[in-house]
Amino acid sequence: MALQDAPVPVTETRKPLGARVRHLLLSQEGVLFIILVVSVLFLAARTDKFLQASNLLTQGRLMVEVGLVALPMTFIIITGGIDLSVGSILGLTAIMLGVFWNNVGLPLELSVVLALGVATLAGFLNGLFIVRVGVPPLIMTLATLAFYRGLAEGISEGRSVRGYPEWFYRVGQGDFLGLPTQIWFLIIGIIISAVILSRTTFGRTLYAIGNNEVGARFSGLRVDRAKLLIYSFSGLMSGLAGWIFVSRVTTTRSDMGSGLELDVIAAVVLGGTSIFGGTGSITGTVIGMILIQLLKNGLALNGVTADATIIVIGLVLIFSILVNNFIQSRRQVE
Amino acid sequence: MTEPILSLRDIEKRFPGVHALRGVSFDVRPGEVHALLGENGAGKSTLIKIISGVHRPDSGTMTLDGKPVHFSNPNDAQNRGIATIYQELGLYPELIGAENIFMGHAPRRRFGPFSIVDWPEMERRAREILADLNIHDLDVRRKVGTLNVGNRQRVEIAKALSFNARILIMDEPTAALTEADVERLFDIVRLLRERGVGIIYISHRLNEVFELADRVTVLRDGQYVDTMAVKDVAEPELISMMVGRTIDNLFPKMHAEIGEVVLEVRDLKREPHTRGVSFSVRAGEIVGIAGLVGSGRSETAQIVFGTLPAESGEILISGQPVKIRHPAEAVAHGIAYVPEDRGLQGLVRAMTLRENNSMAVLKEVSRSTFIQYGSEKAMALEAIRQLAIRATGPEQIANKLSGGNQQKVVVSKWLASKPKLLIMDEPTRGVDVGAKSEIHRLMSQLAAENGLAVLMISSELPEILGMSDRVLVMREGRIAAEFTRAEATQERIAAAMMSDNGAAPAAAQGAAS
Repeated sequence: MALQDAPVPVTETRKPLGARVRHLLLSQEGVLFIILVVSVLFLAARTDKFLQASNLLTQGRLMVEVGLVALPMTFIIITGGIDLSVGSILGLTAIMLGVFWNNVGLPLELSVVLALGVATLAGFLNGLFIVRVGVPPLIMTLATLAFYRGLAEGISEGRSVRGYPEWFYRVGQGDFLGLPTQIWFLIIGIIISAVILSRTTFGRTLYAIGNNEVGARFSGLRVDRAKLLIYSFSGLMSGLAGWIFVSRVTTTRSDMGSGLELDVIAAVVLGGTSIFGGTGSITGTVIGMILIQLLKNGLALNGVTADATIIVIGLVLIFSILVNNFIQSRRQVE
Repeated sequence: MTEPILSLRDIEKRFPGVHALRGVSFDVRPGEVHALLGENGAGKSTLIKIISGVHRPDSGTMTLDGKPVHFSNPNDAQNRGIATIYQELGLYPELIGAENIFMGHAPRRRFGPFSIVDWPEMERRAREILADLNIHDLDVRRKVGTLNVGNRQRVEIAKALSFNARILIMDEPTAALTEADVERLFDIVRLLRERGVGIIYISHRLNEVFELADRVTVLRDGQYVDTMAVKDVAEPELISMMVGRTIDNLFPKMHAEIGEVVLEVRDLKREPHTRGVSFSVRAGEIVGIAGLVGSGRSETAQIVFGTLPAESGEILISGQPVKIRHPAEAVAHGIAYVPEDRGLQGLVRAMTLRENNSMAVLKEVSRSTFIQYGSEKAMALEAIRQLAIRATGPEQIANKLSGGNQQKVVVSKWLASKPKLLIMDEPTRGVDVGAKSEIHRLMSQLAAENGLAVLMISSELPEILGMSDRVLVMREGRIAAEFTRAEATQERIAAAMMSDNGAAPAAAQGAAS
């Protein structure tokens, strides 16, 4: 058979250990990990309090809301999209939770479930308009950023809800197996998201969409369904973060979660996910969120003001992107 | 014999991991069309990038008018009279023709203390350049994005001439053109040749080389093979110089048993391109669809594949009526589509060969949604072996493969879905001769041995004639004529493709007989 006339020798060579370690260190995640370690060592050297277990656990507790939302945001940014409405969905969920329980008089457990349902629906609507009407994600979620926040404020009429029963605070303030309870949510969320993204056909679909949506469609991949799912997932996780937030701060207010979207996007992008889509990982996002949280805390402990801290975080973001670009261009040459 | 304007000697160029050019020599004389031939990856692109100042050679000499030159950037080359017209047109769609022609060197006039663009003068000079090329039907005040491909290319040529180009490099200029536009392009090229411009012409279409070129230089694997006068060389010789072996038959069509009807479509409509199309394809049969660009061929294929769902009409697969609203549904019905635009529709170029190869059959390499990397890799290795894909391995990024090998990946990706019906839209466009022949052989073999029904859309009549058991000709959204293999000739098909000026009745007779 003529096709086999010219067999192509395909040699499979396993790279030596040194090359593989080098490859790992020069990946975006590797560089970020090095930055993380250096930052931790630097901050730990300046103040004793930083590395204490109680401080780290508190930081972990504070990180969960951004962390939970950063997982679906990683998915969305990998497809080349964005979701700016997450903070508003968080606020809306918090209000709905309070309203269902306090004003409607439903059992608190049911109120939580219904509020999460509202959050998922809010995300689904984002996805629906993006997929069916073709509104660009940036515009759609910018609109719902305002819309969902307005809804939350309108429903709450500026009042806050307090006086939740004692058990309700366990999620946000309690501990489970030696860790703050909500960290378990985050750990489980991270594992599931990482497996979905790196191991499943769904994860592959997301990368394909981000690299070439037309090509993905022409390959018979369910592009629209995937997008609907990730925006709905984003709504659900924002809602979950809202529930945990309310439980942590013991009150419901309509301005909760303002500006959350920027912290989340910063963590995802710092983690090496390209804002243009196509590349990124949950590992990177996790390192990104930890790095930001520890920088905030460590600098505060060193007496740096909050304003100056934001500047440092901005500089780290720019620095990591520069390093990444440098590595990418080096790799292109190789 | 006239002295060359530009001459390159012993050019060497290495990229990391690739020895792109090894001792290549090349020259262009005034008033000649010098064709540059070679398979994809032979080094043509690198050579023209050196000539146009994009790359610098590692060693070797380049002389312009007998004096050594070094171009440090493309502007440098442009200012010395070397203009390039790339495959992907480098125009600004939102700007008008005249602006594009004079981009960067617009005529200016004084306005008080300012120097401002002299619009009337710019338009006048743009029209002058075009008129010089016998182009009188192009409105230089229209946005380039609203012009058709042929006119956009003419704007690009005018832009090159606005720099007083003495050497014009044309990289696959006819790839996206209709027949009529190709003829006009040839007229322009001949006109420029008469005026003493040296033209470097790159094309995969050998008939163009014979029609247009005076000399031809062949490259193979980065090496210089030979330069010959076109009148002294024959097509088989050129092909064997390019591929390094003789290909006795470009279109090895094998005899196939024609079986049951696999696809039948009835009165498919999707305005404005598809206005009631009915035809069928049988198992083992290769049906070719000819027609001009815009006649509705690709749209018809995309209706069947579900990327452009039909407004009305019926699709039957093996006699069963089906609804196809999405490519995933088409794939489930055993339909595969090798699309027209390889880079955009066919591949996700930033991803690896392995990932592209399995993209249409992810379910088959996964167990309850978890991708089995072992079987995915094995599948990619099998594809590389079976289709003789030239790649470093399954992990090579698809974009780094040559055009022909990229196309093989698209084909293998769809063969992996084990289709009943394979639709191939321009299967060998921009593919080098060797890969082309292999794709044809594969198509023929699949139809003959596996009983695959093949629907092939092509703008190359020799391909249509060589491969098809039956030829459909589309015109203005309808099937204008149908020929059996025995009836089909270039003349009949071409006549049916063009509009009603007396050609159609002859074609219709052909279909009836």
